[in-house]
Order: sequence, then structure tokens, then C-alpha cells
Amino acid sequence: MTRLRAIFLAPAALVMGALFLAPLAIVAAYSLLTRGAYGGLSTPWTLENWARLADPIYGVILLRTVAISAVSTLLCLVLGFPLALFISRSGSRKNVYLNLVILPFWTSFLIRTYAWMFLLRDTGLINTALLALGVIHQPLPLLYNDGAVILGLVYANLPFMVLPLYATLERLDKSVLEAAADLGAKPWAELTRVTVPLSMPGILAGSILVFIPCLGAFLTPDLLGGGKSIMIGNVVQNQFTTARDWPFGAALSLALMAVVMLLLAAVVRRKGAALL
Amino acid sequence: MNRRIFLLSLPGLAGCTMSSRPRLNVYNWSEYVAPDTISNFEREFGVRVRYSTYESAEELVAKVWSGNSGWDVVFPSNTYIPPMRDQKLLAPVRHEWLPNLGNLEPVYQSPSWDPRLEWSVPYMHGATGIVYNSNVVHAAPGSWADFWQDRFERRATMLDDPVEVIGAALLKLGYPLNSGDAVQLRQARNEAISIKPRLRAYVNAEVRDQLIAGDMLAAQMWSADAQRSINASPALRFVYPSEGFALYGDAAVVLRESRRARLAHEFVNYLLRPEVSSAIALACGSSTANAAAMRLLPEPVRNNSTLYPGPNLLARGQWLETLTPASQRLRDRLWTEIKSA
Repeated sequence: MTRLRAIFLAPAALVMGALFLAPLAIVAAYSLLTRGAYGGLSTPWTLENWARLADPIYGVILLRTVAISAVSTLLCLVLGFPLALFISRSGSRKNVYLNLVILPFWTSFLIRTYAWMFLLRDTGLINTALLALGVIHQPLPLLYNDGAVILGLVYANLPFMVLPLYATLERLDKSVLEAAADLGAKPWAELTRVTVPLSMPGILAGSILVFIPCLGAFLTPDLLGGGKSIMIGNVVQNQFTTARDWPFGAALSLALMAVVMLLLAAVVRRKGAALL
Repeated sequence: MNRRIFLLSLPGLAGCTMSSRPRLNVYNWSEYVAPDTISNFEREFGVRVRYSTYESAEELVAKVWSGNSGWDVVFPSNTYIPPMRDQKLLAPVRHEWLPNLGNLEPVYQSPSWDPRLEWSVPYMHGATGIVYNSNVVHAAPGSWADFWQDRFERRATMLDDPVEVIGAALLKLGYPLNSGDAVQLRQARNEAISIKPRLRAYVNAEVRDQLIAGDMLAAQMWSADAQRSINASPALRFVYPSEGFALYGDAAVVLRESRRARLAHEFVNYLLRPEVSSAIALACGSSTANAAAMRLLPEPVRNNSTLYPGPNLLARGQWLETLTPASQRLRDRLWTEIKSA
């Protein structure tokens, strides 16, 4: 029995080892090296890259990133929950709706982001339409601000919220809802006191799946935010490109990963039962 | 796949592997050759060229830094040539294999980053200035100081590049573009932060569309990209700021790892032909470093002061230099402060 287990686990273990743990070990090693004169890596081994993280500027950027990610996650939840509920109760058309949810993935993320730029810019579709209707007389600055960044993050990550929510809501025991109704619960009470608590695992899973990619985002703040207020992902990206400081970039990305893991651990400890 | 389709595809497979023509590997910036530049070379010299492009200097550096990239000829910007030389990535330029070298403009026969052209052959050049919409902006911005003023209704952008933003701020303050002085750099950081509320975004050449459509009224922009915007919207104008401006050049280099140094030189020599270089400059709207090619350009292009500013304007320009590690690190820190301000 244990042998069989080992055989079945081997492929996944191999993939995780070769494609996740080994690269992670390399990144960890990089974070202890010194930047070469023109980039690249060189000795001596040092903890200096980690010491640089103590600089408060990176903490400020990290806090900003967490705030933007939290708002985006919350918006995803607010938009995604009704949608998932609707899909889970739409009978035979479920599959059509689910396919529509993942339809955007058929196009490259970069192209979809550029499409948003065409919608949001001063001479874009939205401003042109509003101007033509006489609602506004000056184009609204929709592009290149934090709002546009949050919009982009919500748009990109909404499916990751909807799908786990749908999976939970779909499996919800209908008899529990009937019991609530029989006991006199109005629809709103039924929703807030039965459906939402029972779908906590989906809400948590969805929130985690949205929050983590938001933390590491760099393309959206660059393209929709106009690079005016950076997230921690931009700082990491900049170390690997313009600054060519791989060791510091490695330390930054590992620190970001540690933050994510700590947050996850805190959530799992408090809500672990619900997740399982 | 049934057997017949498989068998039908075999001759094609043979075509891939059995050709005995030598192959040259060329890695260049996107939009940096004319449509027929490569095919003409292949036909004339009876070789195959594997041609691929990159969008940023980082992409190129990441590929070639290992010394085992598989490319023969690449086109780094001038600031990357000393580091690549020191890293022993470059093959020496064999002048005896480059009879067309004399076609280069005198200034590019001995550029500051490689005065005797030992490692690189200048290809195209450019500068960073200000492009603005003359229909809306009536007071032309003639200087960085003007650009810093509030005259673009917050519809202005700067390049998303620390060298350019900090560089413009340094020039505005009257300091050298390549300054490594911490006091000057900190002052430049303050300048860069002071203009930030009036900027819509930090964005590179992609802002062209928005300049043409009128979303943006002014932008810090590279000369070749500015010229492309002007071609599409004649209301746009380009200015070489009076305090000074950044100059940069891209050069062809043969990598040390190349096992076809002779053929690689043939290719570089081919690019130095006046008619080849002028065709490229015309097709891409870039500025050739080749004096003989310039003479072949149509009059309006040759006299276009955005692409070919001439000696009087050029005298105010400063070549971008490779930054020292300490200066690079301070600038990165200041850039993070500017971007998160």
C-alpha cells in the first residue's frame, strides 16, 4: 500500500522538486551573492541584500501593495459571489456560463490589458461616449491611476474567485436551505446566515487565489497605472531588468514569498477547519 | 496523424536539416532592418540567416551574458559595450574585413565608448528630447525647465527609465547627464518628484498613439519615435532642450562565442553599404551613423532636424555613459523613491 502511494506521488514530487524547489534554492543562493560590476553575480557571499530590505521604503511599498491587493480581492468577492451563486442555480445553462467566465483566458493577458487602455484613455471608448452624450465636457482621467490598477487586477483575477466559489455553492446541501426556509428565514437571512457561512471554504480559497497574484503583479501597475505608483512586483522586476541587481531582486522576491506564506499560515491556522 | 500525411511531411523535414549553406545568427532590436535587408544578404552570399529581435537591452543582456547564446551578431546600445567588452563577450573588430567602415560619419569613426572601433561598429543613433502638440500648446517648450512648468494640463509623460528621468532632471539643474555625485543626484531626485504631480504617466514609446490621438500634449521621447509620431500627426513638434540632452547609439558587435567571425564581418560590412544602410534608415525612420548612406536619403529626410540634428544642436548633447556600480545603485534607490513618491 505504501509502495503504491510512493509510485503515485513520484511524478508530482518530481515536478515540484525539479520545477519549484530547485529553482527556489537557486534564488535563495543568488540572494546571498554580490552584484557584479555590471550586473550578473559575483562573490563574496553576503547577507547585505537581506540587510537592505530593512530600508523603510520597501516596507511602505509593500504596505501599499497589500492594501491594493486587499481592495482588489474584496471587490472580486463582492462581484464574484453573486455571479457564482447565479451560475450554481442556473440549471442546464451552468456550463455555458462557466465557459463564459473563463473565456477571457483565450486571449493573451497583455492584449486584454492593452484593450483596457483603449477603453480608458482620454480619447478612449468610454470618454468618447460620455463626451458625445454630453454627460461630461472634459475627458475623465480614467487611465493611469490606482483605480485603473485595481480595475485591471479585479478584471484579471475575477475567474479565480468565481470558480472556487461556484464549486462550493454547487455542492451546498439544498436540504439545509429548505430547512432554513421552513424555519421562517427570509431570503436575506438565508443568504447571510446559511449560504455564506457554508461557503466559507470557497470564499477563503478564492480570496487566496486572487490575493496572491495581486501581490506579485507588475504588468498591471505599469500599463494601467502608468508606473506612477509602483507595487512590490515592480521593484522586483526592476532589479532583474533595469538595475540588473539579481541578488537584491532575489532577496526581495523571497521576502515577498515569506510574507505570503506568513499570511497564509495565519489564515489556515484560524480557518483551517473550514478550508478542509 | 495518418501515415500518408507523415510521409508527405518527410521531405520538408529533410529540408530543415540537410541544407549545407552556412547559417548566421543575428539578434537585433525590433524594427531595425528594412523588410528585404536580410533576404538580400542571404541571396547574395548564399547563406541562411536566423534573425530574431528583442524589445529591450535587458533581453539582449540576459541572453548573451552567459557567453553561450548561439548568436553571432547583436546590436547593443553604447553604454553596454564597455561592460560586454570587460566581460569578454565581444570579438575584436577586424578592420581589414570591413572595407565599408570608412562610410561612417567622422564622429562615429571614433565614438567615446570605443574610440578606435576595436569592439563595435556604430549602426544607428538617437537622442532624447521633448515632443509636444503645437495645436494646443502655444508656448513651445524649448528647455527642460519649460517642460517642468505647468503648461500641459497634466497631459504629459516622461519615459519609464531611470537614466532618462534622472538625466533630464540633472540637465535641468545644469549638472552633467552622467553625474555620479550623490548631492547632485539627490537634487535631481527632488526635481523629478516635483514634476510628478503634473505627469500623467511614466511610459516609453507606447505613448506614441496617445500623442497622435491628442490624449497627451507633451512627452519626453526618443527622437526616432518622436519622428514616427510627427509623421502620423503633423501638429507634433520635437525639441532638443536647450540645457542639453541624452545621446545614445546602437552598434553592431560580433560575439566572441561566434564560430563564423568571417561571415559575421561580411554581414556587418554589408550593413555598412550606403544603399543598405539608407534603406534601413528609411524603412525604420531611424538615424543612420553612415555618412554615405545619409547622402542617399531623400532631401526632406536628410534635412530633418529631429533625425539629423546637425553639429550645432549636437554640440549640446551628452553621450550616455556606463554607470559605475555605486552610481547605479544610488540611482536605483532614488528611482524607487521617485516612483513611490
